[in-house]
Amino acid sequence: MLKIEGLHANVEGNEILKGLDMTVNPGEVHAIMGPNGAGKSTLGYVLSAREEYEVTAGKVSFKEQDLLELEVDERARAGVFLAFQYPVEIPGVSNMEFLKESVNAVRKERGQEALTAAEFLKRAKEACKQVNLPLDFLKRGVNEGFSGGEKKRNEIMQMIMLEPTLCILDESDSGLDIDALKVVADGVNSQRSDDRSFIVITHYQRLLDFIKPDFVHILADGKIVKSGGPELAKEVEASGYAWLENHEEASA
Amino acid sequence: MSQWLASVIDRANSVDDWLRPVRQEAVAQLKQTAWPTRRTEAWRYTSLHALKDLTLAEPTAAPASTEAPAITDLNSLDIVFVDGVPTTDIGSLNTPEGVRIYALDNASEEAQTQAKKVMNQAKNASHLFGLVNDALAQQGVVIDVADGAIVEQPIRVVNYVSAGVESHNRVLVKLGAKAQATIIEHGAGQGNSMNTAFAEYLVGDEAKLEHYRFALHGADAIHIGGSHFKLGEASRLNSTIVGYGSQVSRIDTDIVHAAEHADAKMNCIYLLAPSEHFDLHSLIEHAEPNGTTEQNARGIVGDKGRAVFSGRILIHRDAQKTLAELHNRNLLLSRGAQVSTKPALEIYADDVQCAHGATIAEIEEDDLYYLQTRGISREQALVMLNFGFIQELVKQMPNKALSAWLEPLLRERFKTMEPA
Repeated sequence: MLKIEGLHANVEGNEILKGLDMTVNPGEVHAIMGPNGAGKSTLGYVLSAREEYEVTAGKVSFKEQDLLELEVDERARAGVFLAFQYPVEIPGVSNMEFLKESVNAVRKERGQEALTAAEFLKRAKEACKQVNLPLDFLKRGVNEGFSGGEKKRNEIMQMIMLEPTLCILDESDSGLDIDALKVVADGVNSQRSDDRSFIVITHYQRLLDFIKPDFVHILADGKIVKSGGPELAKEVEASGYAWLENHEEASA
Repeated sequence: MSQWLASVIDRANSVDDWLRPVRQEAVAQLKQTAWPTRRTEAWRYTSLHALKDLTLAEPTAAPASTEAPAITDLNSLDIVFVDGVPTTDIGSLNTPEGVRIYALDNASEEAQTQAKKVMNQAKNASHLFGLVNDALAQQGVVIDVADGAIVEQPIRVVNYVSAGVESHNRVLVKLGAKAQATIIEHGAGQGNSMNTAFAEYLVGDEAKLEHYRFALHGADAIHIGGSHFKLGEASRLNSTIVGYGSQVSRIDTDIVHAAEHADAKMNCIYLLAPSEHFDLHSLIEHAEPNGTTEQNARGIVGDKGRAVFSGRILIHRDAQKTLAELHNRNLLLSRGAQVSTKPALEIYADDVQCAHGATIAEIEEDDLYYLQTRGISREQALVMLNFGFIQELVKQMPNKALSAWLEPLLRERFKTMEPA
């Protein structure tokens, strides 16, 4: 589904990704862990075409298309979804209006009819319920005055509504207490299927107790330095990231 | 003197009613008043050229009856004027308890006494068109809300103007102590009309006034008016002003804190289609201590449109502990759109907190990116964010029936303002 080869990317002239390789097959859950500044969030932004993130080398193919050729909104309509670590607040645009526009834009791309107002509302209510957001959130501005946890749940709610094929979760666990973390994890797990894949970016192993990954990759200094199964996350939990320095010395 | 102003004076002289002393006073002042030019500060960015030699028909004696524009779930008590002439039988209105409503031309002493209590008590005495309204307005409405009356039903004064007609009307409102009411001034109409509409509000001690003024006129209209408020002790005003642009459109909103602890919140919204003009002048005066004012004016200006905002907060020496904020934000839809904005603070007290600012807004790239990551095209995201800028204020309107009615109207209008 997703194939990243030798990806290099700059932000404001600084090279952040330095030759990243990764393959994600349909239905797989890949966790990306790593210390702060390793380039984890950058990977999410590069995959969703954020303007300041410039790809300098490498290839990314998504469902046999050259992903790097597509604009931000085209990637979203093709099925890439990024759950933000820090979603913006847009007070003037209501959640309802925003969701309706986005759901129907994605449906149109897939050749589906726009949802009727009643059908949309029904789905939105279900999705709200699933992530434990009160219904009046739909009437409020996008993320306006939401707590950190509510913003994270709102991201998952959007993911449920948009039914993407590749979901990238950027530290969806940061700042959450254990109950909120479970709500987020349950929302994600409910969406797991044979044709939907996940890249779960996290600093801590905790989230992976609830969202069981198939593969764990350690990202350090712009590259994947180690890959393995779920046991790798446990290793990180036990020993932190300090071993990376030794690893780099060893590989240098 | 302009030909039009000379005709105003002639016409005023020929009216013989109970307001004749007011008209004569206004005529005397108008004779002393020079016709505004580009060098007249109050009219610097608003050309009155179109008015100078204007000749339009006077209102006909019996205009066609017109229904008020329907607003779902508002359930308001409507008083309709067409070209300044009432089509509602004001004398036989079924008024809510504690409310008395009179036509301005009511011959009874009771009505005239009520009118005199309010007339020229809040309005800026030197406003050229306020004087014109004094001189010519024969029709209007006087609303008196008794002390302590809590009036749930909104009272709406609809002011229709039709093509080819010049009209003037007046709204005079007195809210008694601890009274509560919602008053809506609803201006609408199409074609090359000319209308002045001035409203004055005396808000009693601890009274609460929820106020709306909608100036939704067509592109060829000339509309000049004002809503003027005098606030009693610990009273509260929540006002929303919404204007379309037109050929010449000018609204003055003046608030005087005449006693301590009054609280005023005013939101202003203007949406100018290509080549339209809109001028909002606001003077907020704190004469007494412990008052608060928060004013937010936001406008979107289409191609070759011209918006003017002049917002002045004046804090007198005695008005210690005043909290006052005034913000004006503008969104220009093309290089040809223009805004002239002048927020001003004039402070003579030394213990106050004030903030003011005017900006030309730009859409945040991060907000655009966020909407796009959800599949929304850049063009559509821009429309949503631009309109969101206005919608934020629409949502703050306390009356939900009004905001539900207004939002789609403004959205439709916004679509016509986008550059092709």
